[in-house]
Amino acid sequence: MRSPEALRILLRNPYGRLGLAVLAALVAAAAVGPHATPYGVWQYGVCRPFEPPSLSHPFGCDEIGRDLLTLFLYGARVSLFVGFLAAALSTLLGALLGLLSGYFGGPLDVVLMRVVDALLAIPSLVLMIIFAAILGPGLFNIVLVISILSWPPVARVVRSQVLSLKEYPHVEAARACGAGTARILAKHIAPATLPLVVANMVLQVSNAIIAEAALSFLGLGDPRIPSWGGILRFAFRMGAVSAGYWWYVVPPGLAIALAVLSVTFVSYALDEIVNPKLRRH
Amino acid sequence: MGLPRYAAARAAQTLASFFILVSIAFFLFRVMPGDPTAFLLESPRIHPLTRELLRRRLGLDRPLHEQFFVYMANVLTGELGYSLYYGRPVVEIIFGRRMLNTLALVGSSTAAAIAVGLAMALLSIRRYGSRVDSSLTAFSLVTYSIPTFWLGMMLIMLFSVNLRLFPVGGTITATRAHEGFLDLLADYLWHMTLPFVVLTLIQLGYNFLIVRNAMLSILQEDFVYVARAKGLSESAVVRRHVFRAAMPPFVTIVGLQLAGIFSGAVMTETVFSWEGLGRLMFEAVSTRDYPLLQGLFILILVAFLVANYVVDLLYAYLDPRVRLR
Repeated sequence: MRSPEALRILLRNPYGRLGLAVLAALVAAAAVGPHATPYGVWQYGVCRPFEPPSLSHPFGCDEIGRDLLTLFLYGARVSLFVGFLAAALSTLLGALLGLLSGYFGGPLDVVLMRVVDALLAIPSLVLMIIFAAILGPGLFNIVLVISILSWPPVARVVRSQVLSLKEYPHVEAARACGAGTARILAKHIAPATLPLVVANMVLQVSNAIIAEAALSFLGLGDPRIPSWGGILRFAFRMGAVSAGYWWYVVPPGLAIALAVLSVTFVSYALDEIVNPKLRRH
Repeated sequence: MGLPRYAAARAAQTLASFFILVSIAFFLFRVMPGDPTAFLLESPRIHPLTRELLRRRLGLDRPLHEQFFVYMANVLTGELGYSLYYGRPVVEIIFGRRMLNTLALVGSSTAAAIAVGLAMALLSIRRYGSRVDSSLTAFSLVTYSIPTFWLGMMLIMLFSVNLRLFPVGGTITATRAHEGFLDLLADYLWHMTLPFVVLTLIQLGYNFLIVRNAMLSILQEDFVYVARAKGLSESAVVRRHVFRAAMPPFVTIVGLQLAGIFSGAVMTETVFSWEGLGRLMFEAVSTRDYPLLQGLFILILVAFLVANYVVDLLYAYLDPRVRLR
């Protein structure tokens, strides 16, 4: 399937359209927002502490008089950056390991699948918390932690598809023609797994956004620029919840939920591409 | 493959998982941050000789593989060391009040989420394609997307701060003398209500979607046509034939989901200051209490491996086809 066709199917589906639109709006806010706001992330005292929303500060202010809209826009950058990057890395890792494990089999396959079983058996957040606590807080540490612990489901589905793909006649034909292993993998097997890999990557994005939010809320995120989860950590610790300062709490959480929901909608629409049987004619 | 052989094969697999995870823990806690004395004795006020002495006493001067065997022996005999923050044995902190609180919260909300999720799925499948069906599906997708801790914060703000119906957090009212057991129980349940609602809501959508999809595919099976052909009403078909056939996959999913539920419990307990294992984990991270963190990790992985094993056997018992693979 060529990508323009995939995009057309995605846009024909109402869920796909809505998901893409919301996602595009959030990405635009993250890309443009920090340049449009007159304040910096750490610029405090621009308004009264916990000032409610007003025309000059539409999202209100935090405990040291920072503009919450500014924090929100910078937070969008961190949340989405970590979400997309961690999802891309974990999907790549999972697809690669699944490909090798499924194609070569043998001891490599046995060991890898045991590791997958083990990692899937226990709460991934618990492992992420421990990894992050030991590595220390930081933007790239959190990307590393999420991607290193999220690949097992991708590896498992890609492996099972490769297991059936390698028995296909066209792969056997290529082998009979004397094609090397690298060529068979790159030309005949990897491209065939692409739709499945893309569908899994979309799921990985929503998981990574949620995981990043949870880790940042626990204080394991990037300490320099708070993500949406990091803003919620400040709000919680500074008593915004028990004081009822809703403007501090609602926007970041709503944004996380919207980002995850729109990604879920896109993956729902992508189902049509991955399973052509569902496609309407 | 008979059930006993299947049970033995799965047991071997579970043991392999155990050794992989325990080894990961060993390398994480010992190799990556230097060694345990690095964060214990980082302070410049501590003489290098003191540190050397401690390293020797803890066996950290021995080769890594020797340390690994000592560690394995300790884990297998349940020796998990002392908490740096509490100064008490890790095992003693975990087994007790903390564990009971988590079991109460997670157990009750999981049971509620299963019951309500099944009821919702039945309702939705009987009116497949109706407005009820699509709004239940939309509701599930939304609850699935909301971050657990944010849902907790919103409920606290609405029901505890604005409406003053529930406490802001904690497990019992510490400032009050309770009159007898019933009074204590009522206070406990009052504190548990909001965290219970959060944990139920985040599981509900998932349960609903799984059972609904399972039932949708079963609706196309031949035995459903037969049931209809023999004149059973549509609701009897769904109740007696479709619902029943959807149960085995649901059991496995609930089993697989246990790990995710615990992740939810970590966030929920942290927000509501619920004195359970999830909150304990957050505290161990905040205070950099590595022995406690490691002990928690090992106990959590044992609990989940055992739970997964039991669920798999249950599934194999319910659906004999699984054993044949």
